[in-house]
Amino acid sequence: MPVDITLIIVLVIALALFFDFTNGFHDTANAMATPIATGALKPKVAVGLAAILNLIGAFLSTEVAKTISGGIIREGDGGVLITPELIFAGLIGAIVWNMLTWLFGLPSSSSHALFGGLIGAALVGFGTGAIDLGVLMSKVLLPAVLAPLTAGLIAYVATKLAYRVTRRYDGKPDGRSGFRYGQIFSSSLVALAHGTNDAQKTMGVITLALISVNLQSPDEGVQFWVIVVCAVAIALGTYMGGWRIIRTLGTGLTDVKPAQGFAAETSTAATILASSHLGFALSTTQVASGSVIGSGIGRRGSTVRWKTAGRIAIGWLLTLPAAGVVGAIAALVAHLGLWGVILDAVVGVGTIVFIFLWSRRDKVGHHNVVSDVAASGEAVVIAPEPESKKVAK
Amino acid sequence: MIDWMGFVIVLVAALTGTVVVVGFYSLGLKMLVRAGRVPVVIPATFTDAITVLTAAEIKSAAKKAAKAGRKNPLTPVQKRIALVAAYSCFTICGLAILFGIYLIVPALHGGG
Repeated sequence: MPVDITLIIVLVIALALFFDFTNGFHDTANAMATPIATGALKPKVAVGLAAILNLIGAFLSTEVAKTISGGIIREGDGGVLITPELIFAGLIGAIVWNMLTWLFGLPSSSSHALFGGLIGAALVGFGTGAIDLGVLMSKVLLPAVLAPLTAGLIAYVATKLAYRVTRRYDGKPDGRSGFRYGQIFSSSLVALAHGTNDAQKTMGVITLALISVNLQSPDEGVQFWVIVVCAVAIALGTYMGGWRIIRTLGTGLTDVKPAQGFAAETSTAATILASSHLGFALSTTQVASGSVIGSGIGRRGSTVRWKTAGRIAIGWLLTLPAAGVVGAIAALVAHLGLWGVILDAVVGVGTIVFIFLWSRRDKVGHHNVVSDVAASGEAVVIAPEPESKKVAK
Repeated sequence: MIDWMGFVIVLVAALTGTVVVVGFYSLGLKMLVRAGRVPVVIPATFTDAITVLTAAEIKSAAKKAAKAGRKNPLTPVQKRIALVAAYSCFTICGLAILFGIYLIVPALHGGG
């Protein structure tokens, strides 16, 4: 095998694993911020648990990985020959966009950044014929829109149910504090579900790269060592992301009651698990945000801040095309040959290092600390209950 | 080809799973309260972070829960039934989650 092909495969795998790591790093807060905030779990325990469950989740199912490696981009007869350069360019697009949104505190989705980058790169490389629009609509775009709505609706129903069942009219303790125990399990399920969906995306990309250089036949599933490295990368990222949660707590969180948190997390986990099973690649961040908003609406005396909700939705819609543009530019450069790829790598790594250093100058504030999911909770305002205040005094 | 059936399956499956888990967990808590065992979980405090409850508030909450447990209109037998019902609800919850995971992992039921 020529040296440059080996080099680029190694680069692709390294970048993909880095992406996986940042994904786990970024998303720990989604799964574990609520149980820590309500006191169900100690921060260290919560973070360790999330890491282990992500690891296990990655082994459970490979449906989503198959969607990515075998569906979206047309391969073989009548399609395009995927080159590792193209995947490389797509990954650069995804990572750069992810870092940019993180820096500016824009709501984003790692998954959509990944798809956007790959699609942009494929479009530049081979034109519109390269993309299987049917699969793209069915497995990526429609789930992107429908999954948060589904999760929100389910969380709304579940929250109403949880409050209705435990409601007492005589002012005696209602035992809702017990939902904190439930949250230990529900948030664990979210972490597990995260592994079944997000680790798969990296596996799909690496498998795609291996197929592109004939190290693996397209009919095979995901190779075992790929599953192992992806699972480890996401678990490591999850564990390392723990410090960020503790900072999040320091700056305050949206008011989430145990009953509401339990309902929202169960809804998130159920939606992601069901979707993973059918191979829908969705954004776990968006599903969790949908659940938080839905469960907020399900509480008494809540009103929606449409402006905030709209801002979040626009950020979501922007992710895919924006990452696509970055991926397309990277693909254009990569077309120049080996030097183009090296230029891409240098610019990509340079951007990451620059953004990292830049972000350290900033003081820790609301915009770069609070997770997207917690921020989405601000889209719903809950009026304080007058009677509960009276009881507390 | 858009797999509309797939979306319907996701909605129905996730809704059913969530309603079963949340519903039975809530019911279990209600039964636990009926049985006079009001759960009080004390939120943890963190250095350099928010304190959810003060020590005095925790104490008064635990006291109120104990008092509510004592003033129970149910007979001891009824209390025991409520307790058994509560634990049954929690068990159903756990089984529902395990069943969900069983359905998802192909290796567990011989699927591809």
